[in-house]
Amino acid sequence: MTNEDRFPALFRKSYKRIVRFYVLSFRVTEEDAEELTQDAFFRFLEAMDEYRGDAEWAYLETIARNVAYNRIRSQKTAKRGAEMIDIHDRNAIPEPAAPVEPDYAQREETVLRSKRLRDAIAALPLGSRECIQLWLNEFTYDEIAKFLKISVDAVKSRLRDAKKILRARLGDPNALPEDEE
Amino acid sequence: MTTKSEFATANRELNAENRASLGEPPTAEEVLAYSRGELAPDAQARIRERLMVYPDLLRTLTAPFPAPAETDHPDYLSDHEFTRHWKALQKRRQRPRRGPQFSHAFGAIAATLAVVLGVLLWRAEAKLKKPQAVWEQQDLYPDGRRGVEGAPKALTANGESYLLVPALGSDLTAEKLRGEIVDAANPSRTVWSSEAVPRTSDSSFVILVPRDSLKAGTYRLVVYAITGERQEPLSSYTFRVPAR
Repeated sequence: MTNEDRFPALFRKSYKRIVRFYVLSFRVTEEDAEELTQDAFFRFLEAMDEYRGDAEWAYLETIARNVAYNRIRSQKTAKRGAEMIDIHDRNAIPEPAAPVEPDYAQREETVLRSKRLRDAIAALPLGSRECIQLWLNEFTYDEIAKFLKISVDAVKSRLRDAKKILRARLGDPNALPEDEE
Repeated sequence: MTTKSEFATANRELNAENRASLGEPPTAEEVLAYSRGELAPDAQARIRERLMVYPDLLRTLTAPFPAPAETDHPDYLSDHEFTRHWKALQKRRQRPRRGPQFSHAFGAIAATLAVVLGVLLWRAEAKLKKPQAVWEQQDLYPDGRRGVEGAPKALTANGESYLLVPALGSDLTAEKLRGEIVDAANPSRTVWSSEAVPRTSDSSFVILVPRDSLKAGTYRLVVYAITGERQEPLSSYTFRVPAR
């Protein structure tokens, strides 16, 4: 069977799942996810001769991830943090509620506390720091292990070390309990 | 007690600080090379460091990818769904792509230019192949030594070319000489430039310039002395081409 013949079958069994992959992993709308999926299959078709027949799924996965990466990266590099608001749309700029202003001492305390936490994380040994930073960004153990190319056990061990060091450094024995997911 | 949420906020701030110092996220190609383990350890570490501060980009590499659906599973496209999505994909395939379009346009322009330049070259060559009589040589004296400051020599010619003869010192030791004619008003615009030619025993350097190649204006001939790898300007000669 040629690649051209195999493609429709692959398309049938993976289309919906790739759409869902985009929706769930990157919180895009169904419409955007369809667009990304079409893009991924389009690129796959264009480059079909490059893959070995038995590795088509892995190849499709690489392309699908690449499409997502490029989309997010281009959004980041285009206009950092620029939010477009129609100035004629009164509803787009809601009247902000009057904030409850903390007093000066309280604000200073918050700033100092935040700095202490940042410094404590930054001062961790590299391996432990990478693990705790990814964990704080809500990555699962499996995802951390995959990215850092280490075992899940190694991830758990480095996380334990990181939490221990942070507790000691901050003088807060109850911070980040071991069983906290 | 410090909560996980407080640590998460501090971590986001830390990432923002690091983004400012580490710059743009890695390209898709760099990331692919990272994922495949194709990079040297230090390059691998750098990519990882830059990715760490962009968690949403990093997630594109780690988010669990689904397995393909079995034929009897609801995720397997029905004939109707297949036709709809397949048509959309085919439509996308037929869409003219920017790259080739640009290439075609570029190709057409390049082909036209090639034809025009070819004709011009042919005409110029045909003209040059004919014998030309040049009966008035233009003796040029180095700038600053003309005697009449601010009045560049006006070229005169009765034939189709100017014969420029810059006066060079008799004590020249350079191995080769090279000439360059620049626009005097805009010296960065080179009008003509010669190859390096070996210095003759009498250190003469003569340039035959077709009249058509110089519009009316003021120009500067710069002669360079070349010895080995070293090239330095020897003298410059400003002259004026009057309107014909």
